[in-house]
This record gives sequence, structure tokens and C-alpha cells, in this order.
Amino acid sequence: MKMNLDDPKLTAFALDELTGTEKEEMETAVAASPEAQEFVRELRLLSGNLRAEYAAEREAYPIEHSNLVPLEQKDEPWSLSRRLALAASIALCACFGAIAIGTLKRGGAGFVGRPNPGREPAPAVNQTEQTPVEGVDNLAATSPAEQLPAAPPPPVGASLATPSFNDLGVIASSDPSAMGAATARNRLLARQAPGAAGGASVEKKAEAWYRQDFNTARYGSIEENPFLEATSNPLSTFSIDVDTASYSNIRRFIENGSLPPKDAVRIEELINYFSYDYPQPDDSLPFSVHLDAASCPWAPTHRLVRIGLKGREMPNEKRPASNLVFLLDVSGSMEPANRLPIVKQAMRLLVDKLGENDRIAIVVYAGASGLVLPSTTGDRKEQILGALENLQAGGSTNGAEGIELAYRTAAEHFIKGGVNRVMLATDGDFNIGTTSEGELVRLIQEKAKSGVFLSVLGVGDDNLNDSMMQKLADKGNGNYAYLDSVEEARKVLVRQINGTLVTIAKDVKIQVEFNPAQVGSYRLIGYEKRLLRKEDFNNDKIDAGEIGAGHTVTALYEVVPAGTEPNPAASVPPVDPLKYQPTTPALAVLPKAKTGSPEMLTVKLRYKEPEGETSKLLERPFVDPGTAFANATPDLKFAAAVAEFGMILRDSEYKGNGSLGAVAEWATEGKGADENGYRAGFLALVRKTKTL
Amino acid sequence: MRVAETADDDDLRGLLRRFELPLLQYATRILGDRERARDVVQETFIEFGRRKRRQTDSAPAKWLFTVCRNRALNICRKEKRVTYLDEDFLEKQQGHAPAPNERIEQEEATGFLLRIVATLPPRQQEVLQLKFQNDLTYQEIAAITKLSVSHVGVLIHTALKTLRARHAAAARDFIPFKPRLAS
Repeated sequence: MKMNLDDPKLTAFALDELTGTEKEEMETAVAASPEAQEFVRELRLLSGNLRAEYAAEREAYPIEHSNLVPLEQKDEPWSLSRRLALAASIALCACFGAIAIGTLKRGGAGFVGRPNPGREPAPAVNQTEQTPVEGVDNLAATSPAEQLPAAPPPPVGASLATPSFNDLGVIASSDPSAMGAATARNRLLARQAPGAAGGASVEKKAEAWYRQDFNTARYGSIEENPFLEATSNPLSTFSIDVDTASYSNIRRFIENGSLPPKDAVRIEELINYFSYDYPQPDDSLPFSVHLDAASCPWAPTHRLVRIGLKGREMPNEKRPASNLVFLLDVSGSMEPANRLPIVKQAMRLLVDKLGENDRIAIVVYAGASGLVLPSTTGDRKEQILGALENLQAGGSTNGAEGIELAYRTAAEHFIKGGVNRVMLATDGDFNIGTTSEGELVRLIQEKAKSGVFLSVLGVGDDNLNDSMMQKLADKGNGNYAYLDSVEEARKVLVRQINGTLVTIAKDVKIQVEFNPAQVGSYRLIGYEKRLLRKEDFNNDKIDAGEIGAGHTVTALYEVVPAGTEPNPAASVPPVDPLKYQPTTPALAVLPKAKTGSPEMLTVKLRYKEPEGETSKLLERPFVDPGTAFANATPDLKFAAAVAEFGMILRDSEYKGNGSLGAVAEWATEGKGADENGYRAGFLALVRKTKTL
Repeated sequence: MRVAETADDDDLRGLLRRFELPLLQYATRILGDRERARDVVQETFIEFGRRKRRQTDSAPAKWLFTVCRNRALNICRKEKRVTYLDEDFLEKQQGHAPAPNERIEQEEATGFLLRIVATLPPRQQEVLQLKFQNDLTYQEIAAITKLSVSHVGVLIHTALKTLRARHAAAARDFIPFKPRLAS
């Protein structure tokens, strides 16, 4: 008898979920069918593997047990600090009781946003026994009703003797941040699995996990830039960013009626989605630098300083010949209407803009990658469009092979002085194949050195690998746009085609020096993923963002003028004075004329020509004219509105007294001519957000 | 006030040790946010501690997962944040990228099959996690997810079918996939 293998009951049988007569019937049926027997065997094998992977995931999972259960017994050197953490938490529990514990969240200065001992549920406290955590990880084979196998208490060192309550009171009254630090160290140590004999790599891994603790499922976490004091941190350094993906992504969430995950909101990408009316650069420079300021609308005693860059415009007929390779993901996940079909349409729009001097090749990757269209000149549109038409989604993804092939094709047809660019369109599902995400990023980084630039066009409504795509664009001398609609494709590939295709300066870095005579503290709004160390600014080996023809890049600082109010940065305890040298030598020796300068700040920029390897330097000092927000330019008002909108979506602690209503008001005042209707779209988005 | 002295508390401590991590993983997958997941799990245990024994005694796993899930979903609803459990979201969505591999260093730690799991529809992911990570029975999963037992059966069946097919296809195309490094 031929048995139907596509039967949930058979699966249930293989998983031993059937009972009674159902089970008996199925047993008989399976016994009569060799096919079914093979199926059951395979399925059990598969579920065994799946269990093992889930168990491994748990092992690697970077959260571990309540601090009240000591994490590990082996580390004698830390046993004292562990004892402190444990003791202090017990004391707290003892003082406040179970319910009050819930209100102790996020205490402990050194430990912001992380669980601290005071938060743990008190009923689980056991002060008299120290038990290892291993038992918890080996859950795989337990059934719900049975109790945990009793793990024998391990030998406990003398230093871990049970603290008495008298001790505890004393310890608990000591500095809570020390407690946090001790616990943090415990966590780090606890992640070193006993079998993995604590080498440096393990430690590094542990640290990576530790840092990763904040990350949410789909987006790299963003910890907002804090206020920094101008005396102790006079330099602020970051890479420019022309990506706009975050805006179209959050727009999709909001239009579908939900707020986006906080970490999907990258404020600089929101601001940079819009272009601003900065003057054209003069002939000698690839871009102009524009500085202005007004009072900060969400914190009126603060100043809002704007740094604007404007890349040289390039008329279409002047665009250099282009050598483009479309690298298209045609794996199964690309099948939905808002993925491959949008990509195809986007490519059609782009092809339409190209001519006989341009070359286009199409590489696809999925189960196997391949060259669908060898490099073809842009006037043979039928051939190109035909190749696009025939693409179909199916199979799994091997990004690495596709990337290799695409860059190879681009290199073979390299146009010196022209546009050489790989355009990768994907939902970011690179997970199957021989290459890990890390290797993929390194591969892109390597390929970027060949002078071929990268555009990443993200699609897909679950936007799965946002952080990965951002990373690729970042490392691959690229830009990243998220296509949530054909309209968005038109913006990126038609209206702003030159900005997308033609890089006019690369590795553009900004370093701002604040004058402590004018500035108490400052905060860079957004750009959290783009921060550089101050040493990186003059180091040409450090990669940074690219600016395209006609692109505008905007960065905002919220500045607290010197001497006006307690410094927001001062809520953090000061760093200890240095032991071997004076702490602030610089200020003491500076001539008064310099510190007393009316300049608020100086902006320094470094950039390289698209094919250059050595950077050039620009410097622009800035004196705050003291403009009130009411008198600010419409452009600045609009940028402020977008920034505040982002902070509200992120529920930022820096959002001040702004509201969605205020955002709408500022954006309306700042709407300006709005030729393409993008700013009107923003207003509609703010209104929609109000209803959520 | 010593809190962990009685037999009840001993049980509770055992349950905490056994279920805190699984619940954290489960809640994190629903909420997409570990901080909140931690809050939810703690509230779940506090609630559990308050209950009379008989209410929770027979099947603590079911009780814990159910309460944890409800609380997590309440947060999602309240904040209108997208989660893979949102009804309208999960009707049409596919899964997304593996949760724990934001960082490059951790890539190799993610299992091959789990990467495929991450592309399945959210509801299938949920039942797979309950079944194969937490070893719950169809009945328990049905009670937790408020689906019928046969629906759970169909979800698991469909999910495993996809896994088999994609696993086979991937194995055919790319044989040398890297197993997890023992480092």
C-alpha cells in the first residue's frame, strides 16, 4: 500500500506524539510501508539535529541566569567580588521584599539599562547554597512535569562562605556602582565555558557577547550619543553617511499601522533622506560646507548647530560613462511582490536612463550564481530588459559567490575615470552558503579596494538583515537605500541617479573642535554607527562615507552654551584626576586670546578624490549668530523637525519638550518649495504616527 | 526576612534555574528586546510565586510559558510594536534573519538548520522553538499558543517539511557548510 507521506499524523507519529489507537493504527501502517519507515527515520534524524542546534543556541545565548545563582565556581580571584554582588543583592532583597524589587530597575550607575542584582525576583533567593548554573543549560531532555535533576553543590572555597545578614547590611550600603561592576565582571567570566580553557579568544568572544547584550533581533542596537563636556572632550569625530534606508523602512512600519522597533530608527538617515538647500561648491572643491545655528526647539536654552555638505551637482549629460553590474538576489525569499518584482522595476527605470556609453551586466545569485547578462552596452535596452524579465526567484542564497562574480565582471570592464559600481539588490538573506557574515563583510571590504563602488538596494517587508546591509554598504564604499516601493526606486535611481552612481568624494570624515569658552557640552544627534576615534581623522587608512553628485549630508549638534546651566554631562561622576600627569594641561597653557575666541567651534573635513588615496583637509570656523528658532531658515526648521521625530520614535531621553504636534508645526514652517513632495510625505507620516 | 527556606521556595528556585533561560529566549523572540524580555520573565516568576501551589503544580512549564507569552504579547499590543506574533503580521510574513547573529563573531555559532528556521513563518518558528528547544508536547504547545492540537501538528509538519526540502537543496548546492566551531 502506498502511504501518503505528507500527513501531519505521520509527523506526529515520528515525534512520538500519538497515543492509544491512533498510535497503533499508524504503527501498523508504517510497518507496511518501507517508504514511511525511511521517512520516519529521516524525520527523527532531522529533529535530533534540530534539538542539538537549539541546545547549542542556548549555550551561545548571551543572557544568563539570575545573578542570585552564582554563575561559576572556578574563578577564585573573583570570588570576593562575586560574594559582594551576591551579598548586596540579597541584602537589597531582604530590605525591600519581592514586590518592591520590580521598582528597582535600572539602578546602579555603572550598569545602565542592564539588569542588576536588585531586580531579580526575590522568591528565588537562596543565600545558603551556591549551585552551579550548568544544570540549567542541559534542558534538552527534560519533560515539563519533572523536577530539575538535583545537582550536587560543588565544593565551595572558604572565601565563599555564607555571608551573614550583619555583613550584608554593611556591604549593601557601599557604592552601588561597584556592585554593578562586580556583577558585570562575573557575567564576563561566566561566559567562559569551563571546557574552553580561558584563552584570549574566549575572553574576546565573551566581551563581544557582553556588548551584544543590547541587540534586538533584527537591528543592530543603537545607544544614543550622550552629552559630552567641551573641556574634557573637545573633539567630535565621525564619518558622513548618505544612507537613507532607515527613513523608508520606518515609513513602511508606520504606514502599516505600527511603530518601528527603536533600533530601526537611525536619525541621521532620517535627516539625510531629505535634501537641503545648501550652496553649490565653487569649482575647486567637490562639495561645499554650510554652517548655521538656531535655538534648539525642544530645549530652548540649547543651541542647535547644523553642518551641511553639498556635493557638486552633475548634469546628466556630463555623467561619466558607467560600468554597472547588477547583482540580484533571486533566492526563494525574494519571490513576494515587494521584492524581486520591485527590483526588476527599479532596474528597468535605471536602464532607461543609460545610454550607449554605459555598460550593464547582470549577475544573479541563489542556489547557484551566474552571469545572466554579460556586460552589454546601455543602448541595447531590449536585450537587457529581456534578461531582467526572465529572472525568477527560487533556490537558496550564496551571496559570496555572487559577489565574487559581480566584482570580477566589473573589473573586466573597468572604465577609468568612469562610474564603476556593483548594485546589489537583496533582502539580505545571505545565510546559506559557505561564507559567514563576517567573511562576507571582509570580502566586500577587500573588493572595495579595486575601485569598484557598491550600492545596496534593500527590499523586503520584514527587512530582515538591515544591519548586515548597512554594514556591507559601509565597508564596501557604498550607499544603502531601502526600496519600499517603486516610487522610492524612482527617487534613488532616477531623480538622484547621479548621487547614487557618481561618487565625487570618498572617505569623508568630519571632526569638530568645540571651544570650551563658548560651549559647555554638546551632543551629536544620530551617527551613532559612524563615530570615529579622534585619531582616525588624520589616518587615511580608516575608511569613511562617500558623497555622491548633488547629495546633501546634514549633521546636527545640540550644544549647551558655556556657563548657562548645569552641564547635562555632569550627572555622570567625573573621571578620577590623573596620577602621573596634570589632568587638563591644554587649557592651562593656551593663550587667553584663543580660549576667549568668539568662535563656537571649528569644523574640519577630510576627503579623498574618488580615485585618490591621500586625503585633503578643509577647515571652517563658526561663530554662532544667536538666531532664534522662530527666525531660523525653513531648512533648519525642517531638519530639526525630522531629528525630533526620530528621537520621539526612539523614545530618546534627549527628546526634551517636543511632541509630534510640535514636529508637525516645525515641519510645516520648514516645508519650503518641496518640489518632489517628500516633505509633504513626512508631514503625512507624522500625522499618521499621531494616530498610533 | 529569609525568603528561600520553605519547600515551596525550593521548588521555585529549581524552576527558576530550569526555566529562566528558556523563557528569556522565548520572550526575546516575541519582543525582539532582551531588556523587556527580562522584565516579563521576572514578572512571570513573581506572579508564579504568588500563586497557590495547586494552580500551578501540575504543569509548571505550561503555566510559565503561557503567562510569559501573554505578558509579552500584552506589551507588544500596548506599544504597538511589531512582533512576529502580531496576527495580521504573521498571516502574510515570512520569517526574518536569525535573531542572535547580529555580531560577526557569533556567526558560526548559529546552526545551519536554525538559519533555515529563521526564514519560516513566525508561527511555525514559535511552535518549533517550543517543541524542539523546550521539549513540550503538542498538547502543551496548543495550550500555550491557544491553537488546536491538530493545528500545532500541521504547523510542525509543514515546518519540518520545509526544513527537509531546503536542507536537502542547500546540501546539494553547497556541500561544505561549516559545522559549529568548538573553538
